[in-house]
Amino acid sequence: MTEAIRIEGLHKSFGDLEVLRGLNLQVDDHEVVCLIGASGSGKSTLLRCIDLLEPVDAGRIWIEGDEVTAAGVDPNAVRRRIGIVFQAFNLFPHMTVMRNVTLAQEKALDRSSAEARAKATELLTRFGLSDKADDYPDRLSGGQQQRVAIARALALDPDVMLLDEVTSALDPVLVAEVLDAIRELAGAGMTMVIATHEMGFARDVAHRVAFLEDGRILEQGAPEQMFTGPREAATRTFLDRIIAAGRM
Amino acid sequence: MRRWILALAAMTLLAVACAEEAPSADGGSPSSSAEENQTAAECTDEYKADLFAPDILTIATGNPAYEPWYGGKSEAGSEWKSGDFTGDPHSGEGYESAFAYALAEEMGFSADQVNWLAVTFNKSFAPGPKDFDFAMQQISILPKREKAVDFSAGYFDVNQALIANEGSPAIGVTTLAGLKDLKLGAPIGTTSLQVIEELVQPTQEAAAYDDLDLALKDLKNGQLDGVVVDFPTAFYGYADVVVGQFPDLGGEQEQFGLAFETDSSLVECANIAIEAMRDDGRLDDLKSEWLEVDTSVPVFS
Amino acid sequence: MSEPEVFSPMGTPGLDPRFPRGDRRSKILGGGSARTTWVAVLSTVVFFTVAGLLIVRSTGWPEVRQSFFDAEEFRYAFPEIVQKFGWNVFIFCVAEVLVLALALLIAVLRSLPGPVFAPLRILAAGYTDIFRGVPTILVIAMFGFGMPALQLKGLPNSDLVWAILSLTLVYSAYVAEVYRAGIESIHPSQVAAARSLGLTRGQALRHVVLPQAVRRVIPPLLNDFIGLQKDSALIAFLGFTEALQRARIIQANDFNFTPYVALALIYLCITIPQTRLVDWLIARERTKRQGGAEL
Repeated sequence: MTEAIRIEGLHKSFGDLEVLRGLNLQVDDHEVVCLIGASGSGKSTLLRCIDLLEPVDAGRIWIEGDEVTAAGVDPNAVRRRIGIVFQAFNLFPHMTVMRNVTLAQEKALDRSSAEARAKATELLTRFGLSDKADDYPDRLSGGQQQRVAIARALALDPDVMLLDEVTSALDPVLVAEVLDAIRELAGAGMTMVIATHEMGFARDVAHRVAFLEDGRILEQGAPEQMFTGPREAATRTFLDRIIAAGRM
Repeated sequence: MRRWILALAAMTLLAVACAEEAPSADGGSPSSSAEENQTAAECTDEYKADLFAPDILTIATGNPAYEPWYGGKSEAGSEWKSGDFTGDPHSGEGYESAFAYALAEEMGFSADQVNWLAVTFNKSFAPGPKDFDFAMQQISILPKREKAVDFSAGYFDVNQALIANEGSPAIGVTTLAGLKDLKLGAPIGTTSLQVIEELVQPTQEAAAYDDLDLALKDLKNGQLDGVVVDFPTAFYGYADVVVGQFPDLGGEQEQFGLAFETDSSLVECANIAIEAMRDDGRLDDLKSEWLEVDTSVPVFS
Repeated sequence: MSEPEVFSPMGTPGLDPRFPRGDRRSKILGGGSARTTWVAVLSTVVFFTVAGLLIVRSTGWPEVRQSFFDAEEFRYAFPEIVQKFGWNVFIFCVAEVLVLALALLIAVLRSLPGPVFAPLRILAAGYTDIFRGVPTILVIAMFGFGMPALQLKGLPNSDLVWAILSLTLVYSAYVAEVYRAGIESIHPSQVAAARSLGLTRGQALRHVVLPQAVRRVIPPLLNDFIGLQKDSALIAFLGFTEALQRARIIQANDFNFTPYVALALIYLCITIPQTRLVDWLIARERTKRQGGAEL
């Protein structure tokens, strides 16, 4: 089985603040890895680095065997292979839902508009949003907007999907519909790295859970093992806090 | 609702403005002197309350003050800077400056009792109380202007001429029709501009300038084919050639006059002085001393 | 306490729960009842009547009226000035098209990232500083009188061209800043989203940032356009006879300022509708922004 993602010795600082301190991670094809950890532990930064949205200070990253941190690599080409969805949806408000999903297909992948529309329709239907295709984002609920964001990223047929706390900004009522969509993706075999606070969901969907602490992966393993019997004290403390906050 | 309020307010204002006004505080027409054969000095003495500054004759004119109307070197501290084509009213040189001092003397003022005030052209006829007794700036007497100012009798008969530089298509033209396709210009507020519009009726809009030197600049740049100015100015050498002179507008001889505030009693006194100077030939003397005019220049037909 | 009435047309005391302060229209007049409306109307009429009478009874009024509001002069001057106003319209329409394009270019140049583009950024910033810092009339005078004086081959000699050019240069500087503010107001997450989809910086700018930015700054763009319309009169300084020059010529010939009043009225006829439009656009943006929040 090939490695979808391989990360070795990743370092990233913002000014004086070192966020990632030599992080290592491998993700296989079709694997779903959930990242858990406190705010500021580097989950978002890690995902943004993988997608080359942030320049890395040191370390190497491979996507499907190609080193993307090598000199001379076209970052745009890399980003087309990776789909990322953010906490704040970031849909383009001046375009319809349909256009949001077709824009990058046409401009970045050079697909014809007919092709792009067909793909968009397929994805929107899959996520139950086909009747919203001609609406503007401001008419959709948060949960609907986030599903559009997922569809928009998926439209480029990426090798890997990165999800950065995609339900954290949603009303609890709307969280379920988004999690269902992600569950469906996982079931279909998409390789995913998901940063999340939703422990129940992580338990359900992940093949592996990785706990970030201090800019590194402190501990990782199968969800059952991680949640019921973590080895590290820090992991235990973190999980205790989550349970105390009633989130598991 | 707000729109209705605004409309109502506007209508109220309009109605009030058009309503009968209270009679103005000023008196009626200037009373004419009972005596005939009063001298200008006696007249001035009678109405000296009307003077802007007591015992001083305050005259307004433009700055810069152009030759040949104003000449001489500027005095120390004077607002007017003299140059090749500009002078200082204080010097007494130049037709209008010399005329002003002669007029003042006739009206009973010594040379020290004459003050000059620099004003923009607009100021000479703007409504409201004036800071001067009269304005003198080669102002032509025109009927429409009489509503805003009271003119004295004419002190100079003026004609308009066309000047151009070497290489201009205007040179050699002798008919008004021949000027029709040329690009001409003149300073604003002068009958020079009216001459272009009414006598020439050019195909290209006449260019109107704030000031004579702006018109001359465009003439030099080649953007104008010719500039229309009054006769004496034409001969002063602002351009290479005097192409020709224009016939009178509307058949009437154009004249320069002094512009007084409306209902000023001093107009009478100035008129007495001017007539006296006309009768004894002093106006003609001033003309020959300060103005070089070549009357052999052809009239456009 | 009695139940609130569901609907109260203006003029009846009572509360409509939809408009807590009474009918929305009479809210402006400070109350919800017929009485307050009539008080407002009455006090307005009284105020303007008194103000008007004070002006009209002043000693200088007859002179001012003859000088500025002469009916006969108005009748004579108005058609002449309106005819020449066509030139102003031509000037500001052409200039505005050029301004919108040039300003966009400058704004984009100014926002190019990276050290390699530094000279372009500096150039754009310098341009903006110079043309916003010099009075427009000076720019027009320097170009209008200076350029033809250089006698360079191939340069147009027309006042019209130089005036349009000067106005374009000056207003592009202001409008570039407006665009720039618009561009900077777009949250960087929009750019991040665009780039994460594999769009290049240029594509992100063209498809995501600029459409949103320009839409946001339409009110200030319109304000600058109104300024440009008024400044089109400055070409009078070059001797070109458009509306202002025509007004000045008549004014100087007839010793009367009424032509200026005529021109002012013409300007108001076109600018007031535009300012109302700007107000409406701003209000609409505000409600749209508030209304489009999370459900």
